[in-house]
Order: sequence, then structure tokens, then C-alpha cells
Amino acid sequence: MTTSPTWLRRFAVRGVFWRQYLDWATLNIPYYLYPVFHFFMTLFFFFFAAPARRLVLGHLTIILPGSSRAMNYLRVFRTFHNYSWTISEAAIHKLNKEEFAYEIIGADWLDQLGAAQGAIVLTAHMGNYDLGAALFAEKFHREIRLVRAPEPDRQTAEHLSASLEKSGEGAVKVDYNTAGALLSFDLLNALRLGEIVSIQGDRIDDDLAEIRAHLFGREVRLPNGPFVLAQVSRAPIYPLFIARSGYRSYQIIVREPIAVLRTGRDREHDMSEAVEKWGLVLEQLIAERWDQWFAFAPGFLAHERNH
Amino acid sequence: MNETTNNGPRFYFSLLRCIAMLRGGDARRSESNATEAWLVGLMIYLIHYLFFATQLIPSQITPWLSALLLVAAAFWVWLFWLLLLYINSVIIKLLQLCGLLRAIPIRRIQSILWGIVTTAMACSFLQNSGWVRELGAIWLVAVGMNLISAAVLAFSNAARSPGK
Repeated sequence: MTTSPTWLRRFAVRGVFWRQYLDWATLNIPYYLYPVFHFFMTLFFFFFAAPARRLVLGHLTIILPGSSRAMNYLRVFRTFHNYSWTISEAAIHKLNKEEFAYEIIGADWLDQLGAAQGAIVLTAHMGNYDLGAALFAEKFHREIRLVRAPEPDRQTAEHLSASLEKSGEGAVKVDYNTAGALLSFDLLNALRLGEIVSIQGDRIDDDLAEIRAHLFGREVRLPNGPFVLAQVSRAPIYPLFIARSGYRSYQIIVREPIAVLRTGRDREHDMSEAVEKWGLVLEQLIAERWDQWFAFAPGFLAHERNH
Repeated sequence: MNETTNNGPRFYFSLLRCIAMLRGGDARRSESNATEAWLVGLMIYLIHYLFFATQLIPSQITPWLSALLLVAAAFWVWLFWLLLLYINSVIIKLLQLCGLLRAIPIRRIQSILWGIVTTAMACSFLQNSGWVRELGAIWLVAVGMNLISAAVLAFSNAARSPGK
């Protein structure tokens, strides 16, 4: 297998060049030119990000059974277009500190989360979770630890971490979800100290511990980390999603907290109930907002077998 | 970030802010109006597109080739925009090195430069005939009214305090 030289890797679809260009463009583009720029950038990536395009297309055939292939290509474009707006608005929040509007769905649960002594926020690759973390830290004056899937490019990962930490003004700390027990102990410790840990619970890498769940009638693998952490620390799991609802406007959707039982008899069984509840929430959210589910890498539901 | 409250629309351009002020609304500058962004963005794109289409596509070619070049022009304008953004950023750097415009955000200075380029293109439309000429005239009138509105706002306090 050949690997491309470092300078060329910068320009790959997930290379650091595009992230740096986005930051530069955010400082330079007058706000009224965004719609046209987004359209063309989306078109550009629609053609050049072929693996991501194929993955999203595969997901759509599962999420919207019976949908036509031609229509699904347009839906993929729509998903890419939303992603383009989402990451640029995160950059606008980070660099220009412009105004954003938001509405909360499930305000009581969000208040509970804000006051919680140790809690897990379980989210998905949906909407603007980066902006959401910064918002949460700003609204509740609390620190949050964000666990992300590792980026394939080291420089991109460094850039993203720095962006998130800057956007959260020091209250957001980023960890990467890699194999090994060290991070688990670190997160457990954080939960016991009353901190909030945010984890993406819709994708798994091959080398991570998994748990079986059901989504859209298929058996899928989800990361078991959040559920093990919740069980051991007795911290509740709050399903939380940040969806884009319009121009510089977002919805923060919080669902009923999920408790992971600890009866002492069968750990797996105790956990499976919580996983099932999470699966239902996730399925409903993805079905409603498929155009904001940014599942561009392997490890999401399309890679599992039919149930 | 602000929790959603309905305070009426706010605008970026002085003309619309002035109209909002006259109607008792909020005249402060805002970059959050989607309709305004789409309207102005598409108008600028149309002017740039027509400029290149009229300058670069010869009239004595087959309809098929003409259609192909018109499609290519749509992408050419996008590439031109990327280039223009970069050239403007170099100009801004030079201006700031000379001690000018240091207190204004870069995107606002870009906005002025984009306005100048687009207005120059719209001026060239006045030599054409038909609706292209009218489009150029509409743009020039809008720019003129926007400048007058900017002066009105500068002499009033409305742009600094929220509307009633």
C-alpha cells in the first residue's frame, strides 16, 4: 500500500488544509456571500468526497426505505450542504463571536444536566455538537469534557482540538476515543469529581469495545464505553443533540435521562435496557433529521448486517 | 448565543437598517438575516456572472457551445470569487501595514472592496441594452441609496441603541 506524502495529505478531504482555509475564509468573507460560497463548496466536496458520499447514500437507503436513488443523491447533497453551514457557523462562533439564536427542547432536563454532579451527555454526529459544547459551557459556567472519534489526520485533530478549546473559552477539554484503559479511568475519575463528559454514541471504531443494539431494524454495534461509565459511576446519561434550525439558529434537544441499572446480577442485561432506550432516541432523531446526521466515516449503521 | 426572542428583523446594509429605523425597528447592524444574505449574495453573483458572460462568450457561436460556456461561466465566477477574496486580503494586509483600517474587522473591509468591484461591473452594464442595463442601473441606485442611508444612520443614534 502506498501512502501519499505529508504535503499532499494536507489537501485530502479530511486534511488540515480545508480546516485552515475555513478559518481564513471566516475572517474574510462578508456574511451575505456565504449562501453562494456554501453552494459551490458543497458541490466541490460532493464530487471529491466520494467515500463519504457513498456512505451517506447507503445510510439514506436504510433510514428512508423505498426512497429512489436519484432522490437520495439530492438528499446527500442536502446533507453535505448542511454540514458546510454547520462547520462554518462553528468557525464564525469561534472567530467572529457573532450572534446565534437557539431554542431549547427539553429545558427541564437541560437544567437538571446543568446542575448535575457528574453526568454523561450522549450525543451523535449530528448538527453542531462543537458549538453545543461551547454553548453549554457558556450557559451553565461549567467545564465539559468532549470525547471524539480520532481524526485520520494528526494535524486536523490538533486543529480541531485547538478550535474546540478556543470556542469553549477554556471550559471545553477534548479527548480522543482510542483503544486503551487510560482514558476510561480518566473519565471515570472526572465523573466522580462531578464533571460532565460528552461522548458520541452512534459510531464505533473496530478497536473499541462494543455493544449490540438495534437501529432501523438492523443489528448495529455501538460503543459500550458510555454505558459502562454510567454503570460504574452511577451517573445518568442525558441524550442531547444540537440541530441547525435555520440561518445562525439552533435547537438544543434534550431527551429524558437514561439510568443504567446496577442490580449486581447481570451487568450486560442491566446495560442492555439503557442501550435499547438510547437506540430508540437515536433512531427517532436520525429519522427526523437525516439531513443533519454527518456520518461520513465507516463505523455507522450501514456497515452492519441485516437483523 | 442568545435564547430565541422575537425582536423583529435586523439587517446588515444601511438602506434596510434605515428603513427599519423609520418603521420603529432595530437599526443596529446584524449579520443574522438569511433573506438579506440570500438576496444580496445572489444579486452580486448574478452581476458577476453576467459581466463574465457578456465579456467572454462570443455571440457568433453555436447554441450548444454557448450553453456549455454559460455553464462553465457559473463555475468560473466561483473560482474568480476565491481569487478575488485572496487578492482583497492582500490589499487589506497592505492597507493595515500602512496603519489604515486597523479597527475594522477584515470581513467588513472585504465587503467594501466587493462593493467597489461589483459596482464597477454594474457600471459596465450601462453600455448594454435591455434588462442587463436595467440590472446595472438597479444596482447603482441601490448603492447610492445605501450610502445616503449610511450617512443618515451616522447622524442618528438609532444605529447604536435598540429600537422601540
